[in-house]
Amino acid sequence: MTAGTLLVYGVHSPLGRRVMETLGSSADIRPVAADSLAPEGLRAAVRDARAVVNAAMGAPADIVRAAERLSAALRGAAPEKRLVHVSSMTVYGEATPYAAAHIAAEARARVFPQTVVLRPGVEYGPGCEAWSGRIARWLEARRIGDLGAGGDGYCNLVFIDDLVRAVLAAAQQTAAPGGVFNVAMRDPPTWNEYLIAFGVALGAIPVRRMTRRRWAIETKLLAPPLKVAELTIGRVPFIARQLPPAIPPSFRRLCTQEIRLDVGATEAALGLTWTPMPAGLRAAAAAYRRKRPRG
Amino acid sequence: MLLDISELPDGHELTADLVIVGAGAAGITIALDLIGSGQSVLLLESGGPEEEPATQNLYAGTVVDARLHSPPDRYRQRRYGGTTSIWGGRCTPFDPIDFEERDYAPAGGWPITRADVEPFYPRANALCEAGEFAYTSEETFGPAARPIVAGFASADFSTDRLERFSCPTNFAARYGHKLSASDNVQVVTHANLTQIVLDESGRRVTHLALRSLAGKQLTARGTRYVLATGGLETARLLLANRDRHAQGIGNDHGVVGRYYMCHLAGVIGNIRFSCPPGAIFRGYHVSPEGIYCRQRFTLEETAQRRERIGNFVARLHHPHITDPRHRNAVLSLLYLAKPFIPYEYAVRLHGQDAGSSGKWLRHLANVVTDPFDAVGFAWHMLRDRKLAERKFPSIIINSKANLYSVDFHAEQYPNPASRVLLDETPDALGMPRIRIDWRYLPQDVHTVRRALEMLAQDFAASRIGLLEYDPEQVEAEMTRFGAYGGHHIGTARMGSDPHSSVVDADCRVHGLENLFVSGSAVFATSSQANPTLTVVALALRLAGHLRHIGAAE
Repeated sequence: MTAGTLLVYGVHSPLGRRVMETLGSSADIRPVAADSLAPEGLRAAVRDARAVVNAAMGAPADIVRAAERLSAALRGAAPEKRLVHVSSMTVYGEATPYAAAHIAAEARARVFPQTVVLRPGVEYGPGCEAWSGRIARWLEARRIGDLGAGGDGYCNLVFIDDLVRAVLAAAQQTAAPGGVFNVAMRDPPTWNEYLIAFGVALGAIPVRRMTRRRWAIETKLLAPPLKVAELTIGRVPFIARQLPPAIPPSFRRLCTQEIRLDVGATEAALGLTWTPMPAGLRAAAAAYRRKRPRG
Repeated sequence: MLLDISELPDGHELTADLVIVGAGAAGITIALDLIGSGQSVLLLESGGPEEEPATQNLYAGTVVDARLHSPPDRYRQRRYGGTTSIWGGRCTPFDPIDFEERDYAPAGGWPITRADVEPFYPRANALCEAGEFAYTSEETFGPAARPIVAGFASADFSTDRLERFSCPTNFAARYGHKLSASDNVQVVTHANLTQIVLDESGRRVTHLALRSLAGKQLTARGTRYVLATGGLETARLLLANRDRHAQGIGNDHGVVGRYYMCHLAGVIGNIRFSCPPGAIFRGYHVSPEGIYCRQRFTLEETAQRRERIGNFVARLHHPHITDPRHRNAVLSLLYLAKPFIPYEYAVRLHGQDAGSSGKWLRHLANVVTDPFDAVGFAWHMLRDRKLAERKFPSIIINSKANLYSVDFHAEQYPNPASRVLLDETPDALGMPRIRIDWRYLPQDVHTVRRALEMLAQDFAASRIGLLEYDPEQVEAEMTRFGAYGGHHIGTARMGSDPHSSVVDADCRVHGLENLFVSGSAVFATSSQANPTLTVVALALRLAGHLRHIGAAE
């Protein structure tokens, strides 16, 4: 991206945080956090920025609200203003509230002709709680591992720093206006391959082969009460620490999903290459070990 | 898509670019590899998802000498998944020497080398769920891995080589969901191949005639065909189709069914170690990715060449189960549990033991006098084998008396006189059954005899124990249970000369344009290695070749 200000909305998401960290040491690009700006301030910040990134994640309502806020702020801006809208590969899968929120958010962003939409796969690496931190805890507790036929689906991994590079490339004024790009490594592993390799990288070995029976108990029988407990008594910090995180049924379904993201157009338009999985897992494991509570 | 023949109308014609006969390790592997290839694939299976007596009976036949070979319907399964539904899961690749022409080994080598198969082994290993393609202890566990016997030193035997264990993976149960969900693969069960129809030139398959045991008749028409029906059935199908070729398809030179190999295996001798019991580890290591692995004594290639003998491996083994004098509660429990152990395993566990009430009572006494040992073992087998998806591979019992025997597994040389023939007695579909005339050579006995002698010398030289056995009993021990069950090798062997082989280096039947064979039938030699991993690797190699041909068209 050429010199100037990059306005980042969603600085508390793994991607938003990583973009801010990456650009923190940049001499040319100054990242500005947009989340807490009031409507007027947001409009002014959009006006002054070279490009705007929407990296907001969270509950479905939060995703839509972020898109609406940015959309309102962009309405008065110059038509050549670049918006990089970070969506999700969930738009290709089953109809869930989360997928619906991303579809709705994309629709709001694509009103603007200079928008580039990125649809990342499974973000992993330092700071990625959903697909690295949470999974590391499950692996260490031997609650997941080799899932057999239950883990044959494609795991469309994207290393967090590759996604940051994709965002910065898309923020270039010359890059593919109106484009929609999948962001995931070429030749993705299966979920089994990811889980086994991550378990080995973490030292959570030997990686356990889950029986179908045990996997069903985890994701069907135990998941609902654990989630209820997390939302109720789990609000007490002491209990929250003791409570094993639920493995939701949606994760079980994801692990069998046969969707493989085509990234040929992404590589061509944004000039990206991908961090090999072993290197990404080493970084993810190292970050997890640094952060893990001792004892 | 998965269909049963009963769902199709009588007289229906199935069409596909590629027709695969047999949905076992080889057939399923090829179909899996061609998912998304753009080629339509028809995978035909004689059985259903479970064993069915009437279908299994289609495998019945005769053996010339019942002492030397198990009945033809044993150790193989005519059902979706084939024999992967009962296999033991031992994986180890062929060694480079197995592919080579050795001037001391009869009947030559392969037209390909280990390097030609090498690129396919890692994926084959993954399909077998045997983890990383790493077959040395050092690369899997590092230099500090515990050896089989501390202090054993040998220039001729390596103890660094591993065997890895599949779950064992039933290919239909594990991968059937991918075939069912695919757009370009159609699996049809209960479809028996009864005729391979050739064109007038006899050089091209035009279609296959199919029948169900319920009497439904269909045809399958494709551009190319693969027989992936195992070492015995492949020979039967080629020999039984004599409409255009009087001796059978691919058999103008009488090679089909010949060179039939298994492995030579047995348990022999006693070795009492002088080192402390803790210096011996004959159990399983678990690799980081969760795979059971085991070290063994592997005869080095240099030693094979120097001694001019075949390939050979050995492992330490527990004392003979049937003799209650071992006073081991677990071994006696296994003796008493004989009725509950599948035939394929019970044969080698119990041998030809006739049993008696006195012996039964002495085994019972062993169990009663050491109940905790027996209960602990029963719990281990329940948790780690019966209830586990990745099953503890075998029974490991350490001897408190430091007393073991030696379990060996050796290459059998190809021998044209060892063969599978047709028995003209028809099966329920009118197809001739098979007759097995398995034979071994004096050189095979020499391989085992000399290798054991070298192993005994190395134990003695290492001053850790003495392996005592009667050299005169080697031949009797290696044939005590006949040919090693389940390893049906070489009946449509690969080679460049049609006078001594059935398929070429691409697994295409000599003289046929569009008929291929996949499976251990094409192996030109037997190696020391169990065949399944190499069956899968060669199936992947063939799938790549078929994909290439299809794309070129």
